[in-house]
This record gives sequence, structure tokens and C-alpha cells, in this order.
Amino acid sequence: MGLTADLHARFTAEGTTGFTVDAAIEVETGESLAILGPSGSGKTLLLETVAGFHSHEGSVALDGTAIHERPPERRDFGFVFQDYALFPHMTVRENVEYGTRYHDDVGDVDRLLGELGVEDLADRYSPTLSGGEKQRVALARARAVKPQVMLLDEPLASLDVPTRQSLREDLADVLTDVTAVYVTHNRTTARAIADRIAVMFDGSIVQTGTPEDVFENPRSKRVARFTGSNTIALDRAPSLRDHLDVPAEGAISVRPEAIELSKRNGGLDGTVRRVVQEDAASRVTVSIDEATVEAFATQPPTTGETVEVSIPPERVTEL
Amino acid sequence: MATQTQMELSQRVPTGSLLAGFLGVQALAFVAAYLSNRPTAFAVFVVFSTSAVAYAVETKRDVGPAAGRLLALHAVAGGGAILADAGLRAVFSLLFGVAEIQFPLWFAAYALFATLGGAVVVRDGGFLVGMATTGSLLVGALGLPLLLFVARQKPALVIEKALDPGVHQVLYLGVMGPLVAALLSLAFGVPLAYVLANGFAGQQLVESMVDLPLVVPHSVAGLIILFGFGSGGLFPGLPVLGSMIGMILAMTFVSAPYAVNTAREAFEAIDTRLEYASRIHGAGQWQTFRRVVAPLAVRGMITGGILAWARAVSEFGAVAVVAYSVSFFYPFAGESVTAQHAPVFVYNTYLQGGLEQSGAVAFLLLAVSAVIFLLVRYLTDDSTAIGGVV
Repeated sequence: MGLTADLHARFTAEGTTGFTVDAAIEVETGESLAILGPSGSGKTLLLETVAGFHSHEGSVALDGTAIHERPPERRDFGFVFQDYALFPHMTVRENVEYGTRYHDDVGDVDRLLGELGVEDLADRYSPTLSGGEKQRVALARARAVKPQVMLLDEPLASLDVPTRQSLREDLADVLTDVTAVYVTHNRTTARAIADRIAVMFDGSIVQTGTPEDVFENPRSKRVARFTGSNTIALDRAPSLRDHLDVPAEGAISVRPEAIELSKRNGGLDGTVRRVVQEDAASRVTVSIDEATVEAFATQPPTTGETVEVSIPPERVTEL
Repeated sequence: MATQTQMELSQRVPTGSLLAGFLGVQALAFVAAYLSNRPTAFAVFVVFSTSAVAYAVETKRDVGPAAGRLLALHAVAGGGAILADAGLRAVFSLLFGVAEIQFPLWFAAYALFATLGGAVVVRDGGFLVGMATTGSLLVGALGLPLLLFVARQKPALVIEKALDPGVHQVLYLGVMGPLVAALLSLAFGVPLAYVLANGFAGQQLVESMVDLPLVVPHSVAGLIILFGFGSGGLFPGLPVLGSMIGMILAMTFVSAPYAVNTAREAFEAIDTRLEYASRIHGAGQWQTFRRVVAPLAVRGMITGGILAWARAVSEFGAVAVVAYSVSFFYPFAGESVTAQHAPVFVYNTYLQGGLEQSGAVAFLLLAVSAVIFLLVRYLTDDSTAIGGVV
């Protein structure tokens, strides 16, 4: 059954017009759902509302039992915060043990510390830890109460890149068979960790599906752009339209990694506008008529060069 | 930028033995000035030694030319001040309506010119020299009267007062009354502060009520207490006029805002997500307050208590109106006695016995307050902390 939530909540702050979160999510038992959205889309508010921190209309249910009338401490959730929220006046061990006295079935604190590689820090106070260490402790604290659902609010966002990568792997391991809702603005993280992704804009969920589905078949231009796909208005690229043989006037999206660039050989021509070296490949911007597309190339062409652009028709989504 | 300057300063300013040396020199200068009956000379010494030290710290790399510039500057500032003296006297007389000014006005001008000029002639860090020297004027104005007050007491008179049972009663009342008032302020003020920190509709009205005692003249506060709690008020039958209860009510009225506002700031400084983290992992509201919020705010609560206590100790107006003479149970005598709250007693002694008598009593009150203040500070210091016990 898992967790279901169908929420309507209004937030006001001084000097603003207010913000409304109106969203429904469903997470099957053992599944990880990523809520992917830009800053200010309301995804953290949604997660906090599910946790019981804000008043709302609508329902939250766990395995069919309505829990939205319950205070946060009786919802059986674990929570990992972006900025860790460790208790600064407690040691690492005290932090991890914090919730165990309120639960009957709890995890072994020493084992949890060991699994996350922070057993040597047990007697340190949390303000003396690095960001990565803090987040490992916060993860252990949430796991120690053996929650039915783990809620994670951008747990990697405040970390530097190497720390983020190593913690992302540990998180993926932890979340394999845990019911979890994972809020992030980072599509790479969402894709790596989630079984399903819900894309959120302006307080509402606009598309939900497997990572494959959301990344390959975005339902709108906005989703396509946010997940990193090329969006191309076909009336600006007539040669592409002819080449693909799709009905006119519309727009299409295609993943940059689906596009192949090769030496000019009589196919669809494009002109290289920019080449940016990234970790494994170069990100190449190519113009086709008045439109531009991005693609990856391990052996990048040079700027100004004309190349042949191959776009497999089965990877093209009409918007 | 500011932080960097401060770091540099704390590295370069003499610490430890050098600081002790500086204070020792100041103490010697005070003794010399006091014994030669010229306290003004010490004030001058404080300002110029501060200026010189700040100047020396900022010009460490080329002391010779810097010292030359400083001397030249003082010569110019002094000469200019003497020339400006007549004009200054005229302006001063006009502004304050005083015909003849005994105060060496040229000297005040000299100090000002030298300070501001010092800031200009130091190439780097002149800003700091100006700030430090100008600030030392206020430190002098605050600290020197206190030094002179202490130094000018007659030890025999102080001892006589210290052995006087009547004074003991006053000191007992002057410590216990405020202590009860501070505890009351905390007991009810901490919950109020917590609610205020979390915010609610109509909060501004409650905030105004809390801050009201800060702006009401204290004799008026006394009248408010009498109208509110005296005969015909909220608690008919409760003796307020001239009673310990009335005195504590008056003290609580004027000191509670300090406890509430300080505790509230401490609560507001706590990240809401710490409370979220506590709640979501199983702790209820009370457990969250006890294990997370209170330990993190305990320092603010204690500071609020100290401020409330100090305010109550120094309360004159409201107490004089409500309970000029207080009847209370005095445990050391085992019976009920009548005495006055310390500030009222000091004022009374001043009216009846003059400056010397009241000075000796005030000295004792000051000493007791200082000891209690230092004791509480020591108990709540990081290295000896009781913080976190809650």
C-alpha cells in the first residue's frame, strides 16, 4: 500500500502574496519516489506538510490508515534535512539515539554508525563535524527509529561534489528496500536514486513516472528543459522537420545523449557553435537552421565546423 | 573586512602579561592622581594612554617617524585648543546659560582635536585609533566615577554600616525581593517568550503590553500596581501597600520585560528544523522543549533572569510608591521586621545623613550586587557550565 498524500496547503509570509501547494503523491512500499523541481517549486513544503509540520487540507495515509490528524511524532517517519538539523548540544551517539526511546522497534545504534562509517565520531559534538559526516549522522538518526517511510529533503545539496558522490552511493544502498520520498532539484541525483520521479512546478506535480519515462517522454516543454532534454520548435528548423518527417508546427524534445554527431556525410547538417569539456565527454552546441541542439561527443568537433547530426526517430517526443 | 581587522588587532594588541602591565600602570596612575587630589589628571591619562597604545599598535613598523608625527600633532592640537578657548567659552555659556565655566574647556577641545587628528596622521588603521580613543572617553566617563566612588569611601564608616543589623535587613531585602521577582518573571516569562517566539495572531498587542513597563515612568508603574492589585483591585484582601508582596509585584512589573525579551530572543535563535527533527523522530512537544529547545535557550533564560534581577535591585520609583517601608519576616532575627528596599534606604540615608553616610551604604549594596552578578556569570560560564542540565 505504502504512502499516499493528497494535499492542499496555503503558506503566507510577510511581504509575499502567499504560496499554495496542491499536490498528490503515491509511494508503494519499498519504493523511492523523487520529487524533482526547481528552487521555490514548493517541494520542501510538500515534504514538510506530509511530515505533519504544517496544517493542510486533504489526506495523508500510510498503508490505508489516515494519519493526517496525527502530530509528527506519531506518523512513523524518518526525516533527513538539507542542513542536517543535528542537535548541537548532543554528541553523535546522543543524536542517533535521540528517537529510540520513543519507539519499541529500533535499530542498533553502534551498527548504524558503523554502516555509515561514522563510528569513530560517536563521542564528538555535531558542530565539530564536516558536512558529509553530519549528513551521515543525520541519516543514522533517521534510520535508528526504523521508520515506515523515510523523508529526505535535499540531503546532498549542501555537500561538495566528491562528498556528494560518495554519500549518494550510500544513500542508494540504504534506500533500495526502504519506502522513501526524496526531494531534490538535481536531476542526476533523482535519476540515480529514485524508482519513480514526480516533477513539481509552482506547487503542483506536473508529471510522474519512472526515470526512464520522465526523461525520455517529457509531457511539456518545461519538464523537458528541467530534465535536460533539447526542446526544438520545428518551424525554426525546417531541415530537421523534413529529415525527421514529422507533422509541422509542433515542438519536439530529444535527449542530448541520444544525438550523434559525425563527419559530414549527406545527412542532416548542423554547425558547431560551442564546445564545453565536461567530465567524460564534451557538451557540443550545434545550430540547425535557426534552432540549437545540445549533444555529447567523446571526440569533439571544433567550433564553426559543419557536422552531420543523427537523431534516432524513436527517441523523439512530440510536445 | 571588519572581521579581518579585528582578527589582526587581537593578534597585535598586547595580551597576557603586557595587558596586565597596562592595567598596572593605569592603577598606579590612579593612585598617584588620587593621592595628589587631582582625579582629572587620571582621566587625561586614560584617554592619552589609550590613544598612544592604539597609535603604537597601528604604526609598529616605523615607530620613530610615527612618534614624531604624534608629538607634532599634539603640539598643534594643544596650541589650537588654547587659541579657541575664548570662543568655546562664549558658545558654551550661550548654550547652557552658565556665566562662568570652571572646567578647562580648552583641554576638552585639545583632547578632541588630538583624537581626530591622530586618526588622520596614522597612515593605515587611523580609523581604529580614532574609534579607540573616542571610545575611551566614554569608558572613562563610566568607569572613573565608580573608581572615585569606591576610593572616596571612609573604611571606618563602611565597616560600621556593614556591622549595623538595620543595614543587614536592608541588604537581605534588597537581594531576596529581586530574587523572587526575577524567578517569578522567569517562571511566567519563559512560557510567554516561547509563545511569542513562535508567533500568533494578535501578537503585537501582547508585545506592547510586555514592553509597556519599559516606557512607563516608574513612579507611574507604582501607581498602576496600587490601582491594579491594591485594595479594590484584582486580589481583594491581599496586602500590597507597604508589604513584601507589593514590593515584589512592583519589581516583577518593571523587570519582567527583560526576562521575556531575552528569553524570546534565545528561542527565536533556535532553528525550527531542530524542533522538526525532534518531533518527527518521536518526541512530543514537551519532550522537544525539555531535550532540545530549553537546553539551547538556557543561556538566554539565565541572562534574562540576571537582567530582571538587576533591574529589580535598582528599582526605586515603583517600590517607593508601593512599599516605601516594607514589613517582612527576617529569618536571622526569627521575627517580622520593617526595613526599606536598598535604593530607597540609600536615598533616605542621603536625605537624612548626607553624602558620606549614604555612600557607605551604597558601597555595601554595590559590593553585594557585584558578588552575586559575578557568581551567576561564573556558574553559567562555558567552562563551568550548568547549561544543558535542564
